[in-house]
Amino acid sequence: MRLTLSSGRTIPQGSFVEHKLSKGYQRATSIVYINHLDLMELGIESGDRVQVTSDSGSVVLITEATHDIPTGCAYIALGPYANAIIGGYTHGTGMPDYKDIIVEIEPTDDPVPTVWDLMEIIGGLRYGH
Amino acid sequence: MDIKDVPCPFCGCLCDDVKIQIEDNRITGVENCCTLGNAKFLSKSRLQHPIMRKDGKWVEVSYEEAIDETARILSDAVRPLLYGWSGTVGEAQVVGVHLAEEIGALIDSTTSVCHNPSILAIQEVGHPGCTLGQVKNRADLVIYWGCNPIEAHPRHMSRYTTYADGYFIDNTATDRKVIVVDIRRSDGAKVADEFIQVKPGGDYLVLSALRAMVRGKSDVVPDSVAGVKKVQLQRVADLMMKAKFGAVFFGLGVTMSRGKYKNVRNAIELVSELNRKTKFTISAMRGHFNVYGFNEVLTWMAGYPFAVDFSRGIAFYNPGETSVIDLLEKKEPDACLVVASDPGAHFPKSTIEHIAAIPTVQIDPCVNATTALCQVQIPVAITGIESAGTAYRMDGVPIRMKKVLETDFPTDQEILERIVTRIREMRADG
Repeated sequence: MRLTLSSGRTIPQGSFVEHKLSKGYQRATSIVYINHLDLMELGIESGDRVQVTSDSGSVVLITEATHDIPTGCAYIALGPYANAIIGGYTHGTGMPDYKDIIVEIEPTDDPVPTVWDLMEIIGGLRYGH
Repeated sequence: MDIKDVPCPFCGCLCDDVKIQIEDNRITGVENCCTLGNAKFLSKSRLQHPIMRKDGKWVEVSYEEAIDETARILSDAVRPLLYGWSGTVGEAQVVGVHLAEEIGALIDSTTSVCHNPSILAIQEVGHPGCTLGQVKNRADLVIYWGCNPIEAHPRHMSRYTTYADGYFIDNTATDRKVIVVDIRRSDGAKVADEFIQVKPGGDYLVLSALRAMVRGKSDVVPDSVAGVKKVQLQRVADLMMKAKFGAVFFGLGVTMSRGKYKNVRNAIELVSELNRKTKFTISAMRGHFNVYGFNEVLTWMAGYPFAVDFSRGIAFYNPGETSVIDLLEKKEPDACLVVASDPGAHFPKSTIEHIAAIPTVQIDPCVNATTALCQVQIPVAITGIESAGTAYRMDGVPIRMKKVLETDFPTDQEILERIVTRIREMRADG
């Protein structure tokens, strides 16, 4: 299913912002909010996982059903999960497209990566504590 | 012990009425603060020692070794990038700008990925703005466009708009109207008197339609604009023109979506149109507590508010070329110093891939996503809790941040000064 995804601030994301390696931050930033009707069309329940793919990347997220987002759209808290599918092109303005990203969404059983996993995929090294 | 009127070092509201209870040099209670500020004041986890990667493993090192390594990395670099700055005070930012000039670096802040388009628009058409105090005491119409204050600036509505008493407003509950414009029905939209739901990417069209209506050209507006009915737009345009004092606040829904700075320019020009009929202002909802401060500091030192490239020996500013995302996307930097921000969590994947590929040093109190991308991390005192200094509120009002806890950790400013000193020593040694 093709949706228009936007990223932005949420209270849980902001509350865990000093604890980016915590489960709370991972949970807060890896939820994709989708309208009930779109979830129904995907044939999955709120809380099931989906593979979200854009022109710039792909990542596994957890769905959460909401009536506050219109059908055809999706929302995610800003953070490393959103950025896994956001491109670096800025149209000559310095500002990448953090909003209105066209994504393809399909159900998956794959696990949601951790923040450390995402950083290691691009060449980072997790810190042990 | 209680300390009153502590400014909160979280968001651009810089609420300066927070009360902190302290026992044995620990914060045991916070009053008047929002969820976000509370979480920061009461946070206990932090990095205890400088760390450095050696043979593919993290090891603890002394401050001296970490600073030596940082100075070596920056000295050896041909195209160093100094990035971050929004989570520290002006006094540290000043040292950062001096460092950038001295080593010919490119310096940019988190502005680049938040309100950079707002600055570009303001440079084109000006900024009819005002302080938050004016809004609180005078505004009878408040418009939140592409922002969600309840989640991003949780006390903005209670301190300055919807729920705040105003000196020139008899009854704020009835006399102050609130309009929210957003692509989704956010929590802010739920408490608004009027909610305009725009289709993603439709802000420019809706702003243009409102401008036409304010100009008296309603007949050119079609029945529906970006998913918004003409009757609602006309109702909103009438509300705007009838207001005695209107205040528009806009967020990243305007700056990050399609159109970018042209959206902001259109919003400013709508406000200019409205000023022919009544009094209207427009202001950006700045994010980090001192993101505005970096724009001030860099402007008075280099002449430009962000994305300044010193590689030519002079300050050169060309957003789209000298802005951090474009620079990283082109894989230009060969070393990076990150101060008081977390690009690992907030930059597109392709750009942080490059940060991971070059020698990167982070100055930050906490382990964060950027830690994984660094070669060195230097922990520091938490600004606004363990160290004092100047920050600028989102409306440009400077506020003195307080030190409420004693600490042995050095401040951002001290670490940066030691790095500058060490680089000078290395250069003198040839």
